[in-house]
Amino acid sequence: MKQALEGSQAIARAVSLCRPQVVSAYPITPQTHIVENLSRLVADGVLDCELVSVESEFSAASVALGAVAAGSRAYTASSSQGILLMSEVLFNISGLRIPLVMTCANRALAAPLSIWNDQQDSMAVRDAGWIQLYCADNQEAVDMTIQAYRIAERCELPVMVCVDGFTLTHTLEVLDLPDQQLVDAFLPAFHFDRKLDPANPISVGTLVSPEFFTEARYDHHQALLQSAEIIEQTRREWQDMTGRDTGGLLGVAGDADARVGVLVLGSITGTLQEAMEASTDTEPACLITLRAFRPFPEQALRDACSGLERLIVLERALSPGAGGIVGSEVRAALSSLDRPPRVFNFSVGLGGRDVPLETWSRALAAVAGNAGAGFDMLDLEPSRLPQEAL
Amino acid sequence: MGLKITRGSYAKPGTSLAFDTGSWRIQRPEHRHTAAPCHAACPAGEDAQAWLALVEEQRFREAWETIVAVNPLPAITGRVCHHPCETACNRGDYDTPIAIHHVERFLGDMALQEGWDYPLAPVLDTAPEIAVVGAGPAGCSAAWHLRRRGFRVQLLEATPEAGGLLRSAIPPYRLPALVAEQEIGRLMQTGIRLMTGQRLGRDFSLDELRDGFAGVFLGIGTQQGREWSIDSATPSDLYVGLALLKRWMDVGAIPTWSSVAIVGAGNTAIDLARVLKHAGVPEVHIISHKAIPGPDVPAADAMPAIGREIEQGLEEGVIIHEHRGVQRLILRGEQVLGVELVHMKKLSDASGRLKRVAFEGTESILHVDQVIPAIGQVVDPEGVHTLLDNRAYFQVDEWGQFPERPWLFTGGDARGDRGTVSEAIGDGRRAAMAIEHFVHSASDSPQDNPGEPIGVDQLNLNYYEPGPRPAVAVLEVSGRDGYAEVEGGLERRQAVAEGERCFSCGDCLTCDNCWTLCPDMAVLKTREPTTDGSYYVFDYGYCKGCGLCANECPCGYIVMRDEV
Repeated sequence: MKQALEGSQAIARAVSLCRPQVVSAYPITPQTHIVENLSRLVADGVLDCELVSVESEFSAASVALGAVAAGSRAYTASSSQGILLMSEVLFNISGLRIPLVMTCANRALAAPLSIWNDQQDSMAVRDAGWIQLYCADNQEAVDMTIQAYRIAERCELPVMVCVDGFTLTHTLEVLDLPDQQLVDAFLPAFHFDRKLDPANPISVGTLVSPEFFTEARYDHHQALLQSAEIIEQTRREWQDMTGRDTGGLLGVAGDADARVGVLVLGSITGTLQEAMEASTDTEPACLITLRAFRPFPEQALRDACSGLERLIVLERALSPGAGGIVGSEVRAALSSLDRPPRVFNFSVGLGGRDVPLETWSRALAAVAGNAGAGFDMLDLEPSRLPQEAL
Repeated sequence: MGLKITRGSYAKPGTSLAFDTGSWRIQRPEHRHTAAPCHAACPAGEDAQAWLALVEEQRFREAWETIVAVNPLPAITGRVCHHPCETACNRGDYDTPIAIHHVERFLGDMALQEGWDYPLAPVLDTAPEIAVVGAGPAGCSAAWHLRRRGFRVQLLEATPEAGGLLRSAIPPYRLPALVAEQEIGRLMQTGIRLMTGQRLGRDFSLDELRDGFAGVFLGIGTQQGREWSIDSATPSDLYVGLALLKRWMDVGAIPTWSSVAIVGAGNTAIDLARVLKHAGVPEVHIISHKAIPGPDVPAADAMPAIGREIEQGLEEGVIIHEHRGVQRLILRGEQVLGVELVHMKKLSDASGRLKRVAFEGTESILHVDQVIPAIGQVVDPEGVHTLLDNRAYFQVDEWGQFPERPWLFTGGDARGDRGTVSEAIGDGRRAAMAIEHFVHSASDSPQDNPGEPIGVDQLNLNYYEPGPRPAVAVLEVSGRDGYAEVEGGLERRQAVAEGERCFSCGDCLTCDNCWTLCPDMAVLKTREPTTDGSYYVFDYGYCKGCGLCANECPCGYIVMRDEV
């Protein structure tokens, strides 16, 4: 049934439909509403789970880790500095192959302090060994959260579902929440083979000597690579059950014969799609939405870009001193093509700066001359720079 | 090889349970009970730590029973003891010592109020009989401990009632007569056969005792004032301090001079000075060779009287002349007009020995109309001159046993090296132990040494919280009439709070630190107390000997012992 819900509320309802047994979280803007809504569902008796209020994000992640290790389906959510405080535990969760699902309500990192949206937080933990999925809108956030549990539990890998803070979490959107029966059919009860059980004791998190460490890493890396197929498979199964094509590794929209492509992650997809559809005075271009950043969908990306001459990568994070994060990875992935497109990399919308419709034409105009294929900040206002930077 | 890494790198119990990490150990933790400083310091031998732990759990009767197994008179010692336990208390190095004597008094008073009976087994008619001479603190203690050990006891007292100095010389403002009467009266109900009006040397002899009893304890105290004169001069109407105090206790009246000098620095001097002051003597002087006790005064140079009593005496207006001696009596005929005082101090002589020296030119005159020596007492030789051999006190070993008379024991003031109620009670207990050994011809020797007490450096003070020592009501100086008790007692909640404040030095506090913090889960918790009395055992199969438990034990109850 279609209904208008705030993004956070929708995500909380989607999590609730997955019947988590343990939810532990620590509040941080803009994630807070998600956990508040979950807490209300528990208080109202809609969701039967152990809701653990902890004293920090470190504990939130640790409790969730322990809960899954003990055989429970668990959930947590955070943002920004909270993700950083969790980061030690995030590596442990993935290394221990704990199938946990969390939401990252994307927000910029301090300093300077900002509560607004960009994706620096999840990008900062891209190497934590988690599956990272980026949602374009709140319908995707709902669908991909439910898919995430299925992916996580099949691969025994944790999944971070990234939704842009405020833009998605605090915005009302008409969306369709699946009913409980459907979710129950899609997502069987969680059974963890390696669960901690006093009757059958094992040690988790033990010391691994140099003899085995490389093998442990290889196994983890392979699991992430192989999860790409599971992500695609899950997308198809979800489509079969709901009729909605959401999730998967990446999506392509627009002119199939275009020579120019624009690659984005997250909520600016909708803005650029609208700009693209409304545009009459720009050259034909297609819009590529990267949904899975980890595993990095190298083959799918090569397929999507094989006919392009130029590819513009817009991203809401950067690696200071190097440039774009996604852009660098895309450039590396495409370099093995016979005729790789020229990759132009821009950051946009850092720290919550609005990404307007004109971004589309502005980006295309910036690469029209085929010059300067490095990294740049598309929406930089030079007049606001400090004196010494000029 | 064949070994494979598991998904998520988990490990089978092969490493966590079957892996014998205990084999890595070079030191093993062990529980070791060490005497608390209060225990080692108690002249009576009480383990205050043990009974404070019971008070904390509000097991008051068991706490009282723990005391009376050592000291049958806690309501009395809780009032009159100089409590060296509190000076020794490790808590003194943290904030303030536990108010041990106040809690002891609380328990003693509760026992009297509730009418608790002493825990005792009936005595057999065929049990050996011991004679105890003198029903003062030493005799009462010896009688009690002999009775507890199953002996029949004949207690022979020269005066009409049991109690000795407790009832004849300790003023009621320190020890109310009713408390002394009840506590001693109840002790006399335990099957000890008391015969009053029986004086050694007059009504019976030592030889008769030797022939009639399996063993004999002499708790006869010091009943004779030490001889005193200045250059062979004494006033004609000389009063001896203790005798005067006893007379006041007995008849309730005392001469009221206008100015008195008491010579001496012990408890009799202070008690008498305060009694005189309460009776209305305007000027009471104490002439002391030693100094008023204080933080900068070494113990050897401090007046031997109880500090609290000196302090209260000063509050009441008693004037103490420190480091002074009487050089000359100023007499008209044989009537005292005053005394000439001189500064005196102990200095080392050429051979390094300390010798009291009078400083010429420091003389001063003090006008008084009476001088009262309170310089100590000696054993009355009546009936015991063969034992004294012209000495002032008996010469005995640490158990109070006389050389060449193995059936005969003594303790308390008659030893000469004692001087307090608590020491007398300790002597009575040790003598009872030795008598039991003698009567049963045991080959081993009795043991009564709590050992070297645990120091504050062996505790982990991080686990204790600061807390105030309880305050008790103290009578205003204007309200002190010589009879009303000066110090009040603790309330129940205050006593329990003191139990909680106790560090439990050297004994298990059951805090769970070792159990919680052991990284190998090699400390196991038990439902029932283990053989060492704690609720924990070490699983040496897995203990790596890291010493964390020993470091984090607040009480110093866990020690690491080398195994190599």
